[in-house]
Amino acid sequence: MSKFCRFFRRGVLGAMLAWASTGWAEMRETGVWWLPRNVSHFGHEIDFMIYVILWLTGITGALVFGAMIYFIVKYRHRAGVGAIHSHGNNTLEVVWTTIPVFIFLALAIYGNEMWGRMRMEKAPADALQVAVVGEQFGWNVRYPGPDGKLGKMDSRKIGKDNPFGIDANDPDGKDDFTTYNDLVFPVNRPVQLHLGSKDVIHAFYVPEFRLYQDMVPGRVYDFVWFKADSVGSFQLACNQLCGQGHYKMFGKLAVVPDSDYLAWVKGKAPLTAASPNSSAETTAVANR
Amino acid sequence: MSTATMTHADAHGHHDHHEATGWKKYIWSLDHKIIGLQYLFSSLAFLFIGGALALLLRWQLAFPSTQVMPDGNVGNPLSLPFINPQFYNALFTMHATVMVFLVVMPVLIGAFGNYLIPLKIGAGDMAFPLINELSYWVWLASGFIMLAGFFVAGGAAAAGWTGYAPLSSVGAYNGARIGQSLWATGLFINGLASIMGAFNYITTIVNMRAPGMGFFRLPLAVWALFITAFLLLLAVPVLSAAGAMLVLDLNFGTNFFNPAKGGQPLLWQHLFWFFGHPEVYIMILPAMGMVSDILSVNSRKPVFGYRAMVYAMIAIGFLGFIVWGHHMFVSGMNLVLSAAFGVSTMVIAVPSAIKTFNWLGTIWGGSIRFNTAMLNALAFVAMFVIGGFSGIFMASTPVNIFVHHTYFIVAHFHYVLFGGSIFAVFAAIYFWYPKMFGRMMNETLGKIHFALTFIFFNLCFFPMHNVGLGGMMRRIADPTVYEHLRALQPINQFITLSAIGLGFSQIVFLVNFFRSLRHGVPAGRNPWEATTLEWTVDSPPGHGNFATTPTVYRGAYDYSVPGHGKDYIMQNEPTEPDHPAGSPSRLRPAPVG
Repeated sequence: MSKFCRFFRRGVLGAMLAWASTGWAEMRETGVWWLPRNVSHFGHEIDFMIYVILWLTGITGALVFGAMIYFIVKYRHRAGVGAIHSHGNNTLEVVWTTIPVFIFLALAIYGNEMWGRMRMEKAPADALQVAVVGEQFGWNVRYPGPDGKLGKMDSRKIGKDNPFGIDANDPDGKDDFTTYNDLVFPVNRPVQLHLGSKDVIHAFYVPEFRLYQDMVPGRVYDFVWFKADSVGSFQLACNQLCGQGHYKMFGKLAVVPDSDYLAWVKGKAPLTAASPNSSAETTAVANR
Repeated sequence: MSTATMTHADAHGHHDHHEATGWKKYIWSLDHKIIGLQYLFSSLAFLFIGGALALLLRWQLAFPSTQVMPDGNVGNPLSLPFINPQFYNALFTMHATVMVFLVVMPVLIGAFGNYLIPLKIGAGDMAFPLINELSYWVWLASGFIMLAGFFVAGGAAAAGWTGYAPLSSVGAYNGARIGQSLWATGLFINGLASIMGAFNYITTIVNMRAPGMGFFRLPLAVWALFITAFLLLLAVPVLSAAGAMLVLDLNFGTNFFNPAKGGQPLLWQHLFWFFGHPEVYIMILPAMGMVSDILSVNSRKPVFGYRAMVYAMIAIGFLGFIVWGHHMFVSGMNLVLSAAFGVSTMVIAVPSAIKTFNWLGTIWGGSIRFNTAMLNALAFVAMFVIGGFSGIFMASTPVNIFVHHTYFIVAHFHYVLFGGSIFAVFAAIYFWYPKMFGRMMNETLGKIHFALTFIFFNLCFFPMHNVGLGGMMRRIADPTVYEHLRALQPINQFITLSAIGLGFSQIVFLVNFFRSLRHGVPAGRNPWEATTLEWTVDSPPGHGNFATTPTVYRGAYDYSVPGHGKDYIMQNEPTEPDHPAGSPSRLRPAPVG
């Protein structure tokens, strides 16, 4: 970063800050011009990929813009100096076709390999199972009870009063507890998500996890998992336009030490047999 | 080529029509030039409507009406209270809809396609003049139908220009059933206009080229429009069908897209993006073609690698149909499928790279004239490169999932669509204005307009990359509700100020455009000393374009041919027998006919 750039940024930012009608007490943990903090294990790979592409495009850009500016200056119209007559050069065409083909194929293969791993790698067996179901405009969250097992989600059963599509008779689901717009994850422990939607498409987006997943209604997404490697408090944002209240469809998301997590769980009452889920079954069926 | 001659003579019989006079000339004319101007003026009017919508939504992002201030009051003191979240959603939905369907497509294809194709291929008019005029009025009607949404109960469509179901398809979810229905109806009708235009262009270019005008003597602008017409013909019917299905879902109890009733939301995404990705190229190919011509004329050099340019555009045309799935990586897609779409998406970057290198090759060794048209064309290349680079981030699947729905992608497509297509439109207007109206635009005002637009454009859209990487979602009515975005608010305000600057810079353009209609310097036939056929006739050309059908003897780019007095040779200038060999002879076969 050159001195001038720093000066320019500070100047612009300073002016904007002074001019903005309010002071902004909150500052980010990272600078406002770049990536937010990264706390997820896959996130580091994604960031690395971003830097690979950034270097690649940066170098190519310097060459292309360098050539462009050089040509613009050198070949400006001057009296008495004519243009070269050339229809092209086939060798050059082959060269500048072949090189990008290899670069882009390499990028595609590298990206697909990483994507495949992120999608195919199974969550470790000890992963905390958490269900998150979006609705206009909030997040239903369901944690397993002492048995560590979530009730089985069935996308066909998701309905108005049964956000998670759980069979009322499923023993695994009886001790689960639910929250609304409130997620707490233990640090350094894998978390496997079960994502669904009650109405329109929502998306699970946490920039600090480098995690984005659409939640198309009518399906349950079981393949997303992550491991947060440091504590902090974040926000879960809906990132697929879902209607009027879309902009404020966010939930609290905290990554905390294991002990704090256990204390938090302790304060939660399990669902009982009289939970809304049992009565919801009939409604959900009627809805269909 | 002999078939072209025959069919041309053949076609003459039925496309002749009389010149309309008086007011009728400007309302219901069958002349392709008037239709082109109708498209030009209407789409420029829509450009200002779309721009005004953009400024309103930018204002809300900088000074949200919903912002909770430190003193506990709701609403930034500078905010516009009538912009509530639902209206904000309608603003960005209609901004994109207007810009895509009522500005970029019609100005590139409707205005310049209509105006230039017959003139550049040496034809008197389009193959189907009546359908041509009909297509304009149908298109205009679609615009009014879509915009009518602002005046109905519930407001205009607010589900994004991509109209993802089931938000778009269920009135209870989107709260704007009537507006959404008007939007979908508008898309359907807009599609009809595109289809009418597309087969007209294809028929005209295939059948009505002047004698000697082989396909590989066509200017690249015509090639680009030719390929674009095929894309339109194959992609737009799919969108029209989807629009019709959406109207049925919204109003007539069908459930194509509603999973609660057994429908499939992903069906909409497949239909939309099967249209939507070719659409991206529909909106850039004609711009590429016109810029290639403008760069060549003003560098006084033939287009570098003419055939490579043509093949690259054909490749884009094909590949454009097999990349639509990359918009759906985030919907949860089979891995083999996502790998295939990932590879095709990366590969489609290759022809774009080829074109960029050839544009650089074209200005290399030239004698560059920096008129306003050329400056805009050069800006097109530079901005398109930046837009292409940010596209590479998106094509990489793992990165895509992080940046896909952030301001990074907003930056990306504005670099391609505004930095690309709109700069090309400005270049084309400055370049062909003398032909259209017989007078030159003012160069000083033109350069002021260019400089302001270029600077404000970059100040407005470049920081969007940063806020996008910083995690700012697109399509949120108020970023200040998010803790991690509050610190970005000064940048958002800066972007808004730059957008306002960008919007008001266009006043210079308007003044120049309308002032020059009366006060511009008379242009003469060929003010830029260009070689193609439109410059062989009067400015503006008379009804029927050519007094006698021209015969074409050479390719479209004979600039600075050694051994000639002047540095350009018109396409209809006969080859001299003792002509020195300046270029490969295959580029200039003996004339036919």
